[in-house]
Amino acid sequence: MNKTLVAAAAILVGIGGSAQAMTDLDVVAWKGNVAQPAGLPELIKRFEEQNPDIKVDLSYVSRKDVDKVVPPRLQSGNPPDVTMVDASLVALWGGAGFLSDLGEDHDWYKKMLPSVKKVMTLDGKVLAYPLEIVGMGNFVNMDLLKKAGIDKAPVTIDELKTACTALADKGISPMIFSGGFSAMLYVGANGINPKGPSPAEFGNGDLKFADDPNYNAALDSVRDLVAAKCFDPKLQAALDPWATAPQAFRSGTVAMLPHGAWNISDFAKVDGLNFEFAPMPSSFSKDGLALDLVGPGWAIPKDAAHAEAARKWIEFFAKPENLNVFLSVENAYSPYSGDATPPPKFSGPYTAARKAGDSILWPFSNEEFPKQLQSEWENSLTGFLLNLDKPNKDTLDRWDESVEDNL
Amino acid sequence: MRHRKTLYLFIIPALLVIGVFFVYPIILTFNMSFTRFQGIGKATQVGLKNYDRIFSRDRYLEAAWVTVFYTVIVVTAMNLSGLFFAAILHRLPMIRNFSRAALYTPSMISFVVVAYVWQFLYSPLNGGINVALTKLGLGAFTQNWLGDPNIAIFSVAFTQVWMFTGFTCAIYLAGFAGIPEEIGEAGRLEGASSWQRFRYLELPLLGPAITVAVMLTTIGTLKTFELPYILTKGGPDGATRMLSIEIINNLFGQYKFGFASALSILMLILVLFVAFIQNRVLRDRENTQ
Repeated sequence: MNKTLVAAAAILVGIGGSAQAMTDLDVVAWKGNVAQPAGLPELIKRFEEQNPDIKVDLSYVSRKDVDKVVPPRLQSGNPPDVTMVDASLVALWGGAGFLSDLGEDHDWYKKMLPSVKKVMTLDGKVLAYPLEIVGMGNFVNMDLLKKAGIDKAPVTIDELKTACTALADKGISPMIFSGGFSAMLYVGANGINPKGPSPAEFGNGDLKFADDPNYNAALDSVRDLVAAKCFDPKLQAALDPWATAPQAFRSGTVAMLPHGAWNISDFAKVDGLNFEFAPMPSSFSKDGLALDLVGPGWAIPKDAAHAEAARKWIEFFAKPENLNVFLSVENAYSPYSGDATPPPKFSGPYTAARKAGDSILWPFSNEEFPKQLQSEWENSLTGFLLNLDKPNKDTLDRWDESVEDNL
Repeated sequence: MRHRKTLYLFIIPALLVIGVFFVYPIILTFNMSFTRFQGIGKATQVGLKNYDRIFSRDRYLEAAWVTVFYTVIVVTAMNLSGLFFAAILHRLPMIRNFSRAALYTPSMISFVVVAYVWQFLYSPLNGGINVALTKLGLGAFTQNWLGDPNIAIFSVAFTQVWMFTGFTCAIYLAGFAGIPEEIGEAGRLEGASSWQRFRYLELPLLGPAITVAVMLTTIGTLKTFELPYILTKGGPDGATRMLSIEIINNLFGQYKFGFASALSILMLILVLFVAFIQNRVLRDRENTQ
């Protein structure tokens, strides 16, 4: 009886001791749910195996809800240990002093692409560990293109117009071009000159969109696409770019869709959909222009209860074999140089354009353009598609006005 | 006298709830409307700059106009259709209960579900409405229901009217139930037709029901957010952008809490103004009848 009591007590002490040593790492992210797992279930399992004293408690919070859920926790001194952030949150939360400085003494910081470094640091402090660069370009249904006698995804404006006319003549719908997103990508790829002035100069009001010949030419180029039978502007102007547009491409009835690489996994599941992800046709390059979007990263809030475990979490992701799991599921590129990261699937032409140096960082993803300008681009381009006869100045003045409102 | 004072004590809990959850937030919002605040960190005083921006940019005045125009369409259509169905069902007691429940069902469905269903119905690419019109040989009537700025606001309004006609119908049916049977009987004995009984006997007696239905639908519609937000996101190019959408976009899309507060204060003034005028007109109408 005594032996049993002693054994039970020993077990209880053991359990108590191990429970005391266990750290619950509170992680908030807008990836990791069933719809967008991003490899996190596998990575969490791997992390817990390597760190048996840490248990990861991942809370999925959609990106829109992060704005409502996390700030009260940051301000009340009860933040998550690790939170997912993007450029706007780095600027907002970091600017208010709620994020920890991760320091520059890391291999990953030294390898970080300079353009991404600018986004993830503020006042000399490294506030986030970036996870990915996501491509935005043109999805092309190669089977439909073949029916029109074309076997290569168009990457120049002339190739695009030729493809559109050939497809339309065969009775195939050439392109989805919603004002909300696709038009924005096209105008961006033809308005932002990689060798011209920095988008930041337009974003801070030093330069005016209305006076810029490239943005004027980009709008003129949209009219040329309509003339080449690429799309019916009135029909597509207000098309929902997030639900209806990808669904139309999935159904295999439309040949091209300017959109983001986050759709690759979804499109890959469709039987018989033979597609490629290509860069945006652009007048600035003969290989097309890859529009790179700086994706989210991890940040450690200033008052995190388990900052040490949080740093282990970031160091875990910094190992290429772990980050590659995330990148592979996300079909994204690494924000670090020198890592042997396999390129995303179905993205041959896009990867080729990046390798040729024909890429820009999407200025809405690195805060060079103010956030407010994005909705003005979407609205004004919808209006432009609905009335192509109105002068470019009407549209471009609205962008300048939006920038002015933000100053 | 002491008894009356004791009675006032009982309203203290209600006053506390109203004070803490309604009046205090309005005061806070009013104060915030004079600041530049991103929802986190410190607020900076900017005086009247937020209001100045609202009145110097067409888009916010247009949003206010869209809000009022949408409210007029929805409230008129919702009340006319509700009154129409109520008048018919009042005369058809056999199917009244079933029909009332059937009409009321859409208003019990979540806004989000309704909006997504109608988004697919309105879609220009194989959307249910255009497909049905084409199959019926009415292809000439197919439209870009949510994509044409001249039609979009009516498409969104139709969805809201479809959703809440049962609600107004229920209010008017309650009004009909309150009309004494003898009045209808007298009308019949005098040889009044069904339309004459409705126009000259029932409609005047429905005054209180009309006041309630119009007031409730007006206040509810002025605050409309979910349907236009999901169906059109305020587009195309601002054609369905209401004040509520502007407020949310500024709050959580652009972290402009101070500016969104200024818009909220103006929206509050608009709702109070419309509700006050409407209440006054409808009450006067009731009294004169």
